Amino acid sequence: MATQYHTVGKPSIRKDAIPKATGQEKFTCDVVIPGMLYGRILRSKYPHARIKRIDTSKAEAMGAICITFEDVPKAKYNERIVSVPSATFKDRTVLTNKPLHVGEAIAAVAAETEEKAEKALRLIEVEYEPLEPVFDPIAAMKPGKPSLHDSIILQDKVVEIKNNIAAKVEISEGDVEKGFREADIVIEGTARTSRVYHTQLETKSAVVVPEPNGGVTIWTTTQTIHNCRILIGEIFGIPLNKVNVKKISLGGSFGSSIQMNSVLPITVALALKAKRPVKMCTTREEDMYDHCRYPMILKYKLGAKKDGRLVAGEMEVIVDIGAHNIQAYPLLGCTAGWLVSLYKMPNLKFVGKAVYTNKAPACAMQGFGNPQVNFIAQTMMNEVAEKLGLDPIEVELKNYVGLGDVFWGQGPTVRSVIRSCGVEELIKKGAEMIGWKNRGRPQDKKGDIVRGIGMARGFHTSSAGGPMAGEAVDFSGAMIKINEDGTVDVIAPLQDMGGGALEAGLKIVAETLGVPLDCVELAPTDTCNSVYDVCLHATRGVYAGGGTLKKVAEQVRQKLLEFASRILGVYPHALKIRPDENLKQGVIYAEGISGKEITVKEVAATARNKNWGTIAAVDSLRQGQCPPAYTVYFVEVEVNKRTGEVKPVRAVIGADCGTVIDPIYAVAQIHGSFYRGLSYVLCEDTKYKRRTGELTNKGFLSGYNILKAEDMPNPDDIQVFFANTYEETGPFGAKGIGEAAINPVPAVVANAIYNAIGVWIREMPITPEKVLKALKEKGGN
Amino acid sequence: MEERKIRVKINGRDCELSVKPNELLLNVLRNKLGLCGTKYGCGTGDCGACTVLVNNEPKLSCLTLAVTVDGAEITTIEGLATDGKLHPIQDAFVKNGAIQCGFCIPGIIIMAKALLDENPHPTDEEIKEALKGHLCRCTGYINIIKAIKAASMAMSKA
Ligand code: FES
Ligand code: FES
Repeated sequence: MATQYHTVGKPSIRKDAIPKATGQEKFTCDVVIPGMLYGRILRSKYPHARIKRIDTSKAEAMGAICITFEDVPKAKYNERIVSVPSATFKDRTVLTNKPLHVGEAIAAVAAETEEKAEKALRLIEVEYEPLEPVFDPIAAMKPGKPSLHDSIILQDKVVEIKNNIAAKVEISEGDVEKGFREADIVIEGTARTSRVYHTQLETKSAVVVPEPNGGVTIWTTTQTIHNCRILIGEIFGIPLNKVNVKKISLGGSFGSSIQMNSVLPITVALALKAKRPVKMCTTREEDMYDHCRYPMILKYKLGAKKDGRLVAGEMEVIVDIGAHNIQAYPLLGCTAGWLVSLYKMPNLKFVGKAVYTNKAPACAMQGFGNPQVNFIAQTMMNEVAEKLGLDPIEVELKNYVGLGDVFWGQGPTVRSVIRSCGVEELIKKGAEMIGWKNRGRPQDKKGDIVRGIGMARGFHTSSAGGPMAGEAVDFSGAMIKINEDGTVDVIAPLQDMGGGALEAGLKIVAETLGVPLDCVELAPTDTCNSVYDVCLHATRGVYAGGGTLKKVAEQVRQKLLEFASRILGVYPHALKIRPDENLKQGVIYAEGISGKEITVKEVAATARNKNWGTIAAVDSLRQGQCPPAYTVYFVEVEVNKRTGEVKPVRAVIGADCGTVIDPIYAVAQIHGSFYRGLSYVLCEDTKYKRRTGELTNKGFLSGYNILKAEDMPNPDDIQVFFANTYEETGPFGAKGIGEAAINPVPAVVANAIYNAIGVWIREMPITPEKVLKALKEKGGN
Repeated sequence: MEERKIRVKINGRDCELSVKPNELLLNVLRNKLGLCGTKYGCGTGDCGACTVLVNNEPKLSCLTLAVTVDGAEITTIEGLATDGKLHPIQDAFVKNGAIQCGFCIPGIIIMAKALLDENPHPTDEEIKEALKGHLCRCTGYINIIKAIKAASMAMSKA
């Protein structure tokens, strides 16, 4: 399909690659403002406490600017406003006088140097009244347990919190009881997924400049400059036209900056008090106490017919959200949606509870509940197939949600009909490539070191768009203009976490306008010079962000052709544009009529000289669909039965992202997701000390288990291929890819382990100890 | 604390700096010299983002006191490209899709330079070994390994 395009589908070099390779790219921590102060944050030593007394006078005496709970606005807010107000639970303030986890911010200072700020921090005297903490979500729901939040705010109403349950979602379709009665086989299982730390390379940071008009200029680590602006305006009562958040590169994020990071409002409060610019870069230790993935306990019961057709499913999920409810309610809805969208299940019941505990607050991380559900659902489906003596592939093909079915893109309120689906193609081709038929049975594999091949499939939504407004806000906006020399400025507030969504956007613009990619650049963008864009999340960059750029570029093209038509005397609809790599220009021409040609530059210059105006457009787009991108994984692992070690050795990965905008970066996204998925299922977790509520690794990377280069299969042993699909609602037929590529990874590894050693392990991370334990238990019965 | 004068050659240029005895090379490069390509990722020697060459040896600048490099020759990521031409390693990273967010990249490219200087034709396993001290959360290391191999080929042809 892509061959008809001059830019889309062709490999290109992303524009930020050279600045990043030469150390020129600027990140928040690289921003330097003359006269700026350095900020540091004082953090709670206790997992649960009341601050009885806090004395900053000694720090102030040495010249530091200090703030505590007394200095910050008291109205509660939620740092993530992707959801509509009725689904946004507010439970926090900028600083607190009742810390709910070790590392929660209780005071902050700013001083001339980092050293002085550090010294000032040590001079603050704090008297705590330690309160009983609770770390286990099941225990936290029991009566008589300490309450973290007595109440929260939902749409300006006070809502009481009981038994630390922050949110609850129940969904049921059909009649599960009846479904289970009709089933020939019913199996039950429980999975536990880990509390992964995002481990983005750049720690959360902010630089804030107070402006003479009472406003602020901001650089910060964020996936959404416009939501940061709205929040800072709301919290500090500053009109939005005086809050300017500047877009700057992000050193990774993976979901951890979907919310306004806690460091930003603290830095704003300091800068406003100091009346000087303040820079605050957090340490790795601080960062590790700031965010993590939602860990879940998932209980699942599933019923199928003899032929492998599913008839009923019942799932109960408990999520340990930590100290704050950043987005537990949408998470539960999404989690139910991922299950509904994985298998056609006529009878289904889902109950999800999100529970407060005295740990770092959990937030979005690549997949948002999807890898967790996929882990239990795909491993148990495999188990059903094995028990029925069926090929797991056959069972998947019988039950998957595909073409023409309804897909839940973001929980129950965001649904649309599937119009493109490459699942069958991916499964069949992938099975062929890996040698699925020859994988053997676990009972026949001999020796201490055995290999197994697993299969799992998954998907993720492309955006939270849909035909009706749901509980998630989802639209993008952009401005595009053609300059007087024929080059193009793209003013898009959409962020890029590193995956290349914006580079894909530039290719979409070049394709639409008919100009060489070299002519198109991302302009420096901030909230004052750009229109609203919700956030980079939900794999919406290419589909929704790129879709918006296409819409705006089409309007620019229209205007360009109208102006060219005045000059050439050819009707606009008879004109075409082609990129001319030699002229480094777009050339407008009338097909078949010689001499009727003009460069984009000449048109733009003429428009200026004749006072016709700028060739530009600005608009927003809400996608009316949320098409799923699909992935299918086949992974081979090597299990050492003596040591319990599991090593991934080979992978075949099939992806359906519709039209591939850039083959190099689409594959790169899949590589990265595969890696993070492997690390998630095999080793990552954050653990807390029972007594002190501290992280067992104290916030140091050295104590955090994570896969390294040496743990990955060799490049030649990872094959990636794409489905031949076209999504009619996406820009040039494209959907997303990012999150779809991580979701089945935990399940595929567990399924491969089963194929190697014949045991199901559903507790993440699957460490050597757990493998040995499972082998021992199997040997014992 | 008393500041001390040190002389170093940074990216080919001689400079004299006055540093505190407890000042880290990382902070001197970033704050005093404006060489912000060298990144802070952990401060504890666990991520490699701060790697620079000190007398052609890769060193973690977050664990190196500035006073200890007195008289040394230092190369940071900013010093690799010459006359506006990318170093072949940088070029290979750019062309092989090895760069995503880019935050880990300066440290990894510097390490790759040290590796290829010593071992011009490393195997996958040798590259992985050299990447032991480096964290990249975005790429899964796959295209990084490919880029280092491509650079090794390009450099041996040149
Ligand atoms: S910052 Fe030096 S190793 Fe991480
Ligand atoms: S490219 Fe983002 S951490 Fe390596």
